Amino acid sequence: MSSEIAWAVTRNNSAYLLKKRNCPKPFSVDPFNLTNKNSFRYNGFLHKKAVAVAPTADKKGVTLTLKKSSRSYRPGQRYNRSDLKKGARVVLTTIRNTLNKQRYRKDLSKAALRRASALIRAQKPLPPRKGAKPVKKAD
Amino acid sequence: MSLSAARPVITVYGEKNEPSGTTCSLPAVYKAPIRPDIVSVIHHEIAKNHRQAYAVNQDSGHQTSAESWGTGRAVARIPRVRGGGTHRSGQGAYGNMCRGGHMFAPTKTWRRWHRKVNVAQKRYAMCSAIAATGVPALVMAKGHRIENIPEVPLVVSDKIQSYNKTKEAVILLRRLKAWSDIEQVYNTKRMRAGKGKMRNRRRVQKLGPLVIYANDQGLTRAFRNIPGVDTICVDNLNLLKLAPGGHVGRFCIWTESAFKKLDALYGTWRKASSEKKNWNLPQPKMAQTDLAKLLKSEEIRKVLRAPNKKIYKAVMKTNPLKNTRAMVQLNPYAVVQKKNAELLAAKRLREKAAVKAKKAGQKPAPQPNVKRAAALAKKGKAKKGKGKK
Repeated sequence: MSSEIAWAVTRNNSAYLLKKRNCPKPFSVDPFNLTNKNSFRYNGFLHKKAVAVAPTADKKGVTLTLKKSSRSYRPGQRYNRSDLKKGARVVLTTIRNTLNKQRYRKDLSKAALRRASALIRAQKPLPPRKGAKPVKKAD
Repeated sequence: MSLSAARPVITVYGEKNEPSGTTCSLPAVYKAPIRPDIVSVIHHEIAKNHRQAYAVNQDSGHQTSAESWGTGRAVARIPRVRGGGTHRSGQGAYGNMCRGGHMFAPTKTWRRWHRKVNVAQKRYAMCSAIAATGVPALVMAKGHRIENIPEVPLVVSDKIQSYNKTKEAVILLRRLKAWSDIEQVYNTKRMRAGKGKMRNRRRVQKLGPLVIYANDQGLTRAFRNIPGVDTICVDNLNLLKLAPGGHVGRFCIWTESAFKKLDALYGTWRKASSEKKNWNLPQPKMAQTDLAKLLKSEEIRKVLRAPNKKIYKAVMKTNPLKNTRAMVQLNPYAVVQKKNAELLAAKRLREKAAVKAKKAGQKPAPQPNVKRAAALAKKGKAKKGKGKK
């Protein structure tokens, strides 16, 4: 069924929906959501083409996952994963090029870059605080 | 997703999660309109049908012969218990405000517990619910962990109908990668919040996959001890199981013969259902629901006018009296006028200065551009007398 219908069904109730007090716009827990906002554009599980950016298991870089649009009814086969570990600049360029040059959900490229850079930044060790004793990284 | 779209082919998977070689085409039910509103309403109505009556004892609060003392006794006029010798005598009785009286509107067993739902509505809801189990997005949104299953809808060969051992069933679910859904069931086992704990509803857990079979040769017994798994025969499909909670998109595992029966059960639009009297699939309101496709389609584009791509930038208004360019836009001769005025003013100033200088006995200041003018005049004469300012 088209993603519009799926959105109409799930916009107000779904396992990915997260509502919190004082937050008028709900969040989404979908791993294929780049901004964690519950909206039609960003909820990847609804669409044939979606992008996920997540930290790699060993916290060294970022995994970029794209949904293959041809295999939309075969959940086991429909992801293209690539681990990007080289370094922030390379990672970001790879992501940007993958999305823009392949014209794969170009509307998500900014969001993907933001998420990737936020993740990479979080993976860097915290700078030592001035004046205090060296603080252990709270991981 | 138009009605007459070619129906895709679904692979039947064997016990080891390899394609067993057979395929079936997707039954038309899966293209029925998905109407969560209808499913929700009908589900709630049908769910009322297996309620058990509850009521308060009809004698409660009436097992006294109390009578009101009337006025004049400095007490409220509520009926009071007769007799003496006990605390109870003289206490108020019968009213809902009295201790030991009946409640307000005592609940009765003849409350209308069950609901009659039109058959066509029930069937519509079923079709929607089945259609929704074929959309991976909706099944995932319901919370089932189907990231790794081979295909949606998941059809397995008929061999599982003769499973007898839970072990075999577990191995099957693991091989099909459906086990993560069952693990989720384990993870969500918890105690119910509230008084239900004391009312035999102590434990609560998520629902797992629904196994739908055509012929039970042991399958129910194999799957029944696995938490979260439900089994159901395709002839008795139940909305309460296919859309638990009124929400569409349960994870369903079909056996091959069950899957093949769906066309006969619910019909295809071309052919009415053979098992259900007078039933054919519901008509969708829109044949093509993909908005992106619609917007790009020829039929719609043909009727649209060309897009207005010109960007109109807001122009700030400038006062011509103060801004020379604005003035020149309105009156091109203004440039000349201004220049002439300038020159005239300069000339007059020079004449004044010359007079003053003469009076003071000094040489007057030289005219500006005199040299230049002379040089150009010479050039002009050389170019056959083209005059110069």
